[in-house]
Amino acid sequence: MNPKTTPLKSGQLPVRRWHERLNFLNVTVILFLFLTIFAGKSMLTNNRPADVAAGIRYFFNKFFPPDFSDWPIIFVSLGETFQIAIIATFISILLSLIIALGASRNIAPTWLVQTTRMFLNITRTLPSLIWAFLFVILFGATPIAGVFALTFYSLGYLGKFFSETFESVDVQVARGLKLIGASKMQAFRFGLWPNVKAQVWSHSLWMLEYNIRSASIVGLVGAGGIGMELNKAMDMASGFQKVTAILICILGIVILLDLLSQAIRRWITSKVSPKSISE
Amino acid sequence: MTENQPKQVKSISQLPRIRLQTRDLGLRRNGNWLFQNLELNISGGNFVAVLGPSGVGKSSLLSCLCGSEKPTEGTVNFKIDNEEERDPESISPHLGVIFQNLRLTAHATVLDNVLYGRLGKYKLKETLWGFSQKSRQEAYTILEDLGIPHLAYKWMTQTSGGEQQRTAIARTLFHDPKIILADEPVSNLDTYYAGRILGLLRNKAMEEGKIILCALHDPQLINRFADLALSLNPEHPEGWRLRKVHG
Repeated sequence: MNPKTTPLKSGQLPVRRWHERLNFLNVTVILFLFLTIFAGKSMLTNNRPADVAAGIRYFFNKFFPPDFSDWPIIFVSLGETFQIAIIATFISILLSLIIALGASRNIAPTWLVQTTRMFLNITRTLPSLIWAFLFVILFGATPIAGVFALTFYSLGYLGKFFSETFESVDVQVARGLKLIGASKMQAFRFGLWPNVKAQVWSHSLWMLEYNIRSASIVGLVGAGGIGMELNKAMDMASGFQKVTAILICILGIVILLDLLSQAIRRWITSKVSPKSISE
Repeated sequence: MTENQPKQVKSISQLPRIRLQTRDLGLRRNGNWLFQNLELNISGGNFVAVLGPSGVGKSSLLSCLCGSEKPTEGTVNFKIDNEEERDPESISPHLGVIFQNLRLTAHATVLDNVLYGRLGKYKLKETLWGFSQKSRQEAYTILEDLGIPHLAYKWMTQTSGGEQQRTAIARTLFHDPKIILADEPVSNLDTYYAGRILGLLRNKAMEEGKIILCALHDPQLINRFADLALSLNPEHPEGWRLRKVHG
């Protein structure tokens, strides 16, 4: 109790001083609102003059109607995009599971947690496009560069998500199994994994969704997939209508995948994560 | 192991000779000694009740004995037959623990949790894709003995505190270790099941030559089931006392 608090009669509820009643979350929200107002004001005053109406007219004239004449190439590239995303997500899930164990405070020693987290922070800091640029320099303009780029980018996110999931469960269960003779792998497989697998699946599916969107973009710097076709179309003087067609196809795939992944996630969660007694 | 079936009692010479020995065992926490100079020498076939008021260090003593906590001073050793003396870590496949907080896998079924009791006896590849039908049947029989066969395929989170406690006990019975350390194993159970389970543990000690160490509060249960009673003294860490309850 604060030493300056007025002495109270026994049984009387102690009154907290104004600064003790401050809620850190509320203060942050208020601060965030103030910053948004100031940022918005600054953006409006420093705006460059532009003819918005002319821009819209230009956009519609140049980009519509969409030109689907190259549809076989578009579909092959979309397939490649899908492959890049799936392989990158799969590799990153496997690597992240191992790395996340080292980044979890309740499992690994502090030195390992700090080293691993620093590595994860670095991989997360670079956007996927920069990773793609770096790997195109290493491997040339091939889909392999895209796979490596998305694997590294996903590692940063999945490693963080998985380690937070591991930290949210009680490792005493796994330690208990070790005490009665289970090996380290058995303790992980039966004491920890059942409690985290729903979350791990959920994060992995989210990453797959995200990687399909990213795989469409990394092609802009030559790392394979539909992005490369997008780049080619943009370079052509008459390619704007093809750009629209490609963007519509990407949008269609992303929406479809979003719906599919939601359904799969719901199904997996219901299979591996039971309802609590109160439900 | 239903009550109607005849039990196969091993003769004394067939029973494994087990010994639990502590030398100068002491544990200090937050600057205070919980127990000190604890000298135990317990042989197989004994049910030892550990008693004392809450916070005296019963759970901590059991933690030291199972190796989950390092004692401040002294040693814990186990000896099976003519083997060398071993510390708790190296004897873990023979050590069964019923934890006070149970430590069950929440997102697994009751039957799976029981099966996890025998992990130390299987290799990883034998358990990676599930357990054998024989093991599953054996685990189910134990659930029947403890009155919860209908919960076999329920998730742990769908069961009550008493049912979870019975699952933890079933896990240890399925494990069938030579030494059982139980931290208040019947605290959430009604009188019938408390008596039934402690009776089962006492029979395990008598008929199979196991060592059972069990933290208990209820003096009636202690008088009914324990062979020896170890009392810890909150005022004097060195004032522990081991006395005979049953001759």
